[in-house]
Amino acid sequence: MFVLREALRGMWRNRVMAFIAFGVIFFSLFLLGLFLVATFNLFGVIRYAQEKVEITAFLEDDLPREKIEEIKKRIEGMEGVERAIFVSKEEALKEFKRDIPKAKELLQALKTNPLPSSFKIKIGEGYKNPEAMKRIAKKISVIDGVEEVKYGEEWIRRLDKVVKFLFLFDVLLGVVISIASIFVVSNTIRLTVIARKESIEIMKLVGATERMIEAPFLLEGMIEGGAGGLFTAFILYLLWRFLSVRILEFYFPTDAILFGLTLFGIILGYMGSMVSVKKYLKGGEA
Amino acid sequence: MIEFRDVYMVYEKNWYALQGINLRIEKGEFVYVVGPSGAGKSTLLRLIYMDLFPTAGEVVVAGYSSSRIKPKEIPYLRRKIGVIFQDFKLLKDKNVYENVAFALEVIGTPRRKIKEKVLKVLAEVGISHKRHAFPYQLSGGEQQKVAIARALVRDPFILLADEPTGNIDPEGTREILELLKNINTSGTAVIMATHELSLIERFPRRLIRLEQGRIVEDTGVRS
Repeated sequence: MFVLREALRGMWRNRVMAFIAFGVIFFSLFLLGLFLVATFNLFGVIRYAQEKVEITAFLEDDLPREKIEEIKKRIEGMEGVERAIFVSKEEALKEFKRDIPKAKELLQALKTNPLPSSFKIKIGEGYKNPEAMKRIAKKISVIDGVEEVKYGEEWIRRLDKVVKFLFLFDVLLGVVISIASIFVVSNTIRLTVIARKESIEIMKLVGATERMIEAPFLLEGMIEGGAGGLFTAFILYLLWRFLSVRILEFYFPTDAILFGLTLFGIILGYMGSMVSVKKYLKGGEA
Repeated sequence: MIEFRDVYMVYEKNWYALQGINLRIEKGEFVYVVGPSGAGKSTLLRLIYMDLFPTAGEVVVAGYSSSRIKPKEIPYLRRKIGVIFQDFKLLKDKNVYENVAFALEVIGTPRRKIKEKVLKVLAEVGISHKRHAFPYQLSGGEQQKVAIARALVRDPFILLADEPTGNIDPEGTREILELLKNINTSGTAVIMATHELSLIERFPRRLIRLEQGRIVEDTGVRS
């Protein structure tokens, strides 16, 4: 009760600084939030793309049926392979004609079917990443009768790199933002500490414990940070609603954003005021 | 109850604030500490409520030794000690009642008890009628009474007064001294640093005279 009252009083007394602290935390977390949502979504795209990828093993022409069966067995026996589906030359041609109707005439001119028969290989969960697929593809490529192995798409691998970079960037941004926020909050709290110098002196004199003296300042920082985080989450949510309806739909982890950013704001506020409390309360005598 | 054992206090360089102080003050005593400015009166008081620690020697207060007390224990020692100053140190944005209640709030006293205790102590020092007034609306004497109320509200065993009448007119001074006498009569020890020798003539008690950080006179207990 006392602590809360003192914290609010401190904020009111330095309302301009408190507002700046709130604003800086809001702006910083907003930036971080945007990047996080972007990362989440790109990551989602990659996951989706990876779900769909499969390995295709093209076979040499004119393999006997037993040989094809043997290859199928060998492929299906590999770690990470779920299923291998045989696609004959005829089926491949049909599929090709269906996918690219304009090529019909061209193919008719060719008399013979140029497409090889192949296996479409479904990959098990946990193996749908570039490294595992590369490993499996390599093992398949050495099987006798397999002419060529194709897997994934170059853009997926590139996107994967982009997301990894983006994630690293998020972390870096998070660190920079944290330092800036802590700095601003600590400055705000420093002003409150100075404004309440006399009252701190009296608290020490009458035997208030250190914790009791610190508590209002820590609470003040946590309120400033928490409010900044909460407001950020709210604005991001509005932005998401707006964009989803008008431009494009994307994934937005509402709960994670709401709780995550608010909690992060509170932690930043706490750390910021701790810096000031340590600096300006602990050192001085009553 | 309070004991100084060969206490030296050195501020910076070779400035000796106190040198070789040996002193015992018993329960319920009334002691004047006199001497010119810079003789070490304030330093002596600050050593008692452990705002300062001796450079050498030991100060023992209510069983707490300056050389062994943990920082965490200091607040608990201070709850047993009342301190008043020449400049009162009241909070300007709080009224009389709130200033006194503040001393209980910050040590976590329950709300209902605060009200009871504050009203009682305000009556004791005779300032109840001004409990809604703010410090700037009070005379020096009245402000010091509020400071005394704030010191007493925690039932200390000792009241330390550092030049308590320095900023108060003669009439107020007489009232404050009267109040301190009453407080002492009810069992609380009082240690008062002053350079107003007229006070002492009016109400003679044990007197300790400091000069350049040394005790040059100690009359011992007088009543």
